[in-house]
Amino acid sequence: MMGRMYRFALSVLIAGILSVALPASATAETRILACEPEWAAIAREIGGSDVVVHSATHARQDAHYIRARPGLIAQIRRADILFCSGADLEAGWLPVLLKRGARLVVQHGQPGNIMASDYVRMLEVPDNLDRSHGHVHPAGNPHVHLDPENIGILARILTERLVLIDPDNADGYHSRHADFTARWDKARATWRSRAEKLQGMKVIVHHTSWPYLLQWIGLDRVIALEVLPGVSPTASHLAQVLDRVSSSDADAILLTPFDPRDAAEWVSARSGVPVVELPFTVGGREGVDDLFSLFDVTLELLEGARG
Amino acid sequence: MFGAARLTVCMVFGMLIVLSAPDTHAQSGTTVEAIRAELETLKRQYEDRISTLESQLEALKHESHEDEHEDEPHARDHSDPPHQDNAFNPSISLVLDGRVANHSADESELAGYPAGHESGRTPSGLSLGHSELVMNGSIDDKFMGNLTLGLGVHPGEPVELELEEAYVRTLPGIGIMDGFQLTAGRALWTFGYLNEFHAHADDFADRPLPYRAYLDGAFNDDGVEMSLVLPTDMFAEFGGGVFRGDDMPFGGSDSGVEAWSAYGRIGGDAGRDGAWRVGASILNGRAHDRMGGVHVHDDVHDDHGDPGHDDDPGHDDDHDHDHDHDHLGLHDDDDDDHEEEEHEHLADFFTGGAFTGNTRLVALDVRYTWAPTGNPRESELILQGEYFWRVESGLYTLHEEHETCEDPDDPHTCHVETEDVVLDLDGGSSGWYVQGVYKFSPQWRAGARYARLEMPKDAEAEEDHSAFSAMVDWSSSEFGRVRLQYNRENLYEQEDDNQVMLQYIMSLGAHGAHSF
Repeated sequence: MMGRMYRFALSVLIAGILSVALPASATAETRILACEPEWAAIAREIGGSDVVVHSATHARQDAHYIRARPGLIAQIRRADILFCSGADLEAGWLPVLLKRGARLVVQHGQPGNIMASDYVRMLEVPDNLDRSHGHVHPAGNPHVHLDPENIGILARILTERLVLIDPDNADGYHSRHADFTARWDKARATWRSRAEKLQGMKVIVHHTSWPYLLQWIGLDRVIALEVLPGVSPTASHLAQVLDRVSSSDADAILLTPFDPRDAAEWVSARSGVPVVELPFTVGGREGVDDLFSLFDVTLELLEGARG
Repeated sequence: MFGAARLTVCMVFGMLIVLSAPDTHAQSGTTVEAIRAELETLKRQYEDRISTLESQLEALKHESHEDEHEDEPHARDHSDPPHQDNAFNPSISLVLDGRVANHSADESELAGYPAGHESGRTPSGLSLGHSELVMNGSIDDKFMGNLTLGLGVHPGEPVELELEEAYVRTLPGIGIMDGFQLTAGRALWTFGYLNEFHAHADDFADRPLPYRAYLDGAFNDDGVEMSLVLPTDMFAEFGGGVFRGDDMPFGGSDSGVEAWSAYGRIGGDAGRDGAWRVGASILNGRAHDRMGGVHVHDDVHDDHGDPGHDDDPGHDDDHDHDHDHDHLGLHDDDDDDHEEEEHEHLADFFTGGAFTGNTRLVALDVRYTWAPTGNPRESELILQGEYFWRVESGLYTLHEEHETCEDPDDPHTCHVETEDVVLDLDGGSSGWYVQGVYKFSPQWRAGARYARLEMPKDAEAEEDHSAFSAMVDWSSSEFGRVRLQYNRENLYEQEDDNQVMLQYIMSLGAHGAHSF
């Protein structure tokens, strides 16, 4: 009798799994799983209606630390292209997805695998590796998207891969890429002149999320609120920060939407330096719904802080 | 160096133009344009690359320190896209676990279940938990391998080396089928939720009662297991394996293939910042003279039918042989309550007898996580529960010894008679636990757990085992954690035990990604 119950339970389970499984295989679109919203935004620009884009993280999430959720394993299992920052930004969860999803075409070295940091010049490459130096990325700082030039490079790389994987829609990818590049280059020119006016502005950052933006504009980083990358601020470190701030007249304390605000506000209240929460990525602020508004709003906020 | 690179690129580029030029004249207009476009792309790519090289060089100049050699790794990092570290050597990690514990009860015994290595409580006072050495890495693009050595230290005994895991596993590169994975060797197999994880990753210092009783901590037999993730919107995975049948809940494998398992899981996102998973597993097989723990055969002829006694960290040192006699209730002269003796006697068959027969374990597991801000690193709620159902029937053999003396005052006249008592008993039972852990600040978590475990059916016990646990832990980083835990164990026919434990768990070296 017991045996019958097991068999029944098992067949219910298998039937359940099959019923969720069967409807899925019908869709033929190219599926792109982006690890961060900025790469999802590029994918939408280039892929248009020929692709289905899913982002593993949203703008209020720190991509270092999410869980390898079952839903993401299901996503990578069906993905044709995996589009991520790389440089170990996703080291806490992406390896699990890659192994469990076991989708061949998106594995390292396969055409469906795009790690942005493989194609751009990396900043903050450490000289030596030691965990006592905080959360160190051996290949350099992985937040590569806040330099418009890098966005342009990755748009091209994605186009090449899409053409390779989905040649039937190659014309669409090429024309959308050409269109995007034209608009992007035009926007870059205006941003360039705005950025020049911001050069030399002094900023305090929470985490080293900004080196590419800082370098592109020419901002000076005074100090970070985190003791070490990934190590939360402590009272003694913040006191030291306050010393540095008063002696260097910083213009702003930069935060991402997912950085905790308490340390920044503590320093701000005592130094008068305003806290500026930049969008950091697409969706990071109201009205920032594509890559163009990401850079527009970022520059606007910095200009506002400069006064 | 940079000048040379640019020159080379220009030369190559120039040659390409020269070589393609004669052809283009002969072709029709559209082809010419196509080729031009192609060249344009090529030119663009080279320009990109050159500008990247230029900026790299610029950066290197800026960064260049006293020592010129330091620059070389930078340059290499870029010409060679970064791969995972330790690409060729196995990643090595070390887990260190130490504890201090205090118990209100002198002894603790999980009656009705064989006492294995991992089924007892943390030893009193200062002690080490399991130290682990994990080595793993890719074998090639198709396989990876893993070896986990557990160094068990039980007070008063030599250090015990346990091969916890030694397996090879297919990588996606094997290309059999997307979503497919095959594991062979010895591993923490997929069963329920906790079984596949190393104990040091648990949210509590000890495993819940059903894991201690049914699996002696975890099922890591020798075997083969496959799994398949389906290409569905909702996460769906199923799999199963075939095992030797030497590890608890089995033992004393005869043919070398005595057990099998099957499981299915579904899961997905719950809202923007939540996730869930539900699973069902079955583990089925045959045991031969199973005594619990790994020293199955050695213990058959051990003292007084309490096989795990010598290995069991849960038994305190003062839990000596005489005490066993008293507890067994078989030889107490003043035990005049016959019925009680009978009950205890049956329970002893489950606790200390060797089991031969069929055993089947079914587990249902549920897990839900929710990060209020989207960032589990800041704050997170984890709810988890598992239900186990054991069906077990077969023969229990209890090895009994009787000492008779012709002259009670002269030990030389005594002789020991041994007797094997065999009973056919129903060992069916069920057990479950639920737990919740809340991370209320990036470094602090608090949690509570309640576990319940039935006595085996034919033990005819009036009560279940139950245990309540509460813990607070502090993490210095992803790699270091200190935990304070309180347990209140109400085990059947045992004094209520209030346990307080302070534990550290630290890991060094390569640190793999976490599963859900």
